Amino acid sequence: MQALIERIGRSVGGVVGTLFQAGRDAVDLCLKTIIPFMAFVTFVIGLILETGVGDAIANGIKGFASSLGGLMIVCIICAIPVLSPLLGPGAVIAQIVGVLIGTEIGRGNIDVSMALPALFAINPQVGCDFVPVGLALGEAEPETVTVGVPAVLTSRMITGPISVVVGYLFALGL
Amino acid sequence: MDALVAGAEAFIQVFRTAADVFVGFTTGIIPIVVVFLTAVNALVKFIGEERVEGFAKWASQEGALYMPVRYTLLPFVAVFMLTNPVCYTFGTFLPEKHKPAFYDSAVSFVHPITGIFPHANGGELFVWLGIAAGVEIVAPDMVTALAVRYLLAGLVVILIRGIVTDIIYNIMTSRRAGVE
Repeated sequence: MQALIERIGRSVGGVVGTLFQAGRDAVDLCLKTIIPFMAFVTFVIGLILETGVGDAIANGIKGFASSLGGLMIVCIICAIPVLSPLLGPGAVIAQIVGVLIGTEIGRGNIDVSMALPALFAINPQVGCDFVPVGLALGEAEPETVTVGVPAVLTSRMITGPISVVVGYLFALGL
Repeated sequence: MDALVAGAEAFIQVFRTAADVFVGFTTGIIPIVVVFLTAVNALVKFIGEERVEGFAKWASQEGALYMPVRYTLLPFVAVFMLTNPVCYTFGTFLPEKHKPAFYDSAVSFVHPITGIFPHANGGELFVWLGIAAGVEIVAPDMVTALAVRYLLAGLVVILIRGIVTDIIYNIMTSRRAGVE
């Protein structure tokens, strides 16, 4: 009997402990990464909405982001193997451009149907800065890394535009 | 004097608007992300590492037959369970020649997954949220549908990326071998 009680007590304690730790990790992530980035992003949004900067950017972006061809051009530029590793780190560029395009969608300057292809168009450089580290995390041999880095970067030139088309097709009928 | 006041007014208005947006994000996004993160963190811990690794070993086998598993299901599970950037350690289970393609595939999924599963890449939510915030204003009922489509389109894209990178990697290695 005592053993049973002990076992129930232990397992319940374990479950509660795990849940509590999960909550702690969640709040930690929120405070340390999500909210700081949110503060920065909302400031950018404030600037766009309240100053003339917004209109200037809007005119620049609108031409590119309101047609499939324009998004394609953005995507190909971001995927150029020399540029893509520079644009990659922390997805900061993709996030800022995402906010800019999102704000323009919110103001009605860009059609909602462009949202999905745009999500892919602004992001062909994802992880291009991180290839050696990512491969090292997968315990790849040094030779694999030597060939793997240019292979991934080259592949993005092809798969970037394809991803925009896939996004466009998936947005049909939305 | 009036010009000065107008200038100050315009200046402070930037921050008022920013603050309004911030409050909107805080009440709209933070609560659901926190609760969701907690649930998924706990789920991952309950499922346990061994079971996930067992799956990874099965999914990372060689051959064209396993391609759809290797470049859709495996990256999905890796990113969902281990989150960015630990997910790339799943490369360990793959044959050497598929590692670059797997990395390409997995890393391309860390944003499409955030529309529905924000825990997977909490630090880079605004690729999705930036655009979703705009859609929310124009067509609020469309946001979830868009998130689902982003996820599905992401799966198609990472499969294509995996296959294309595999091919390019093979061409590059054989060329290298030819030169040496």
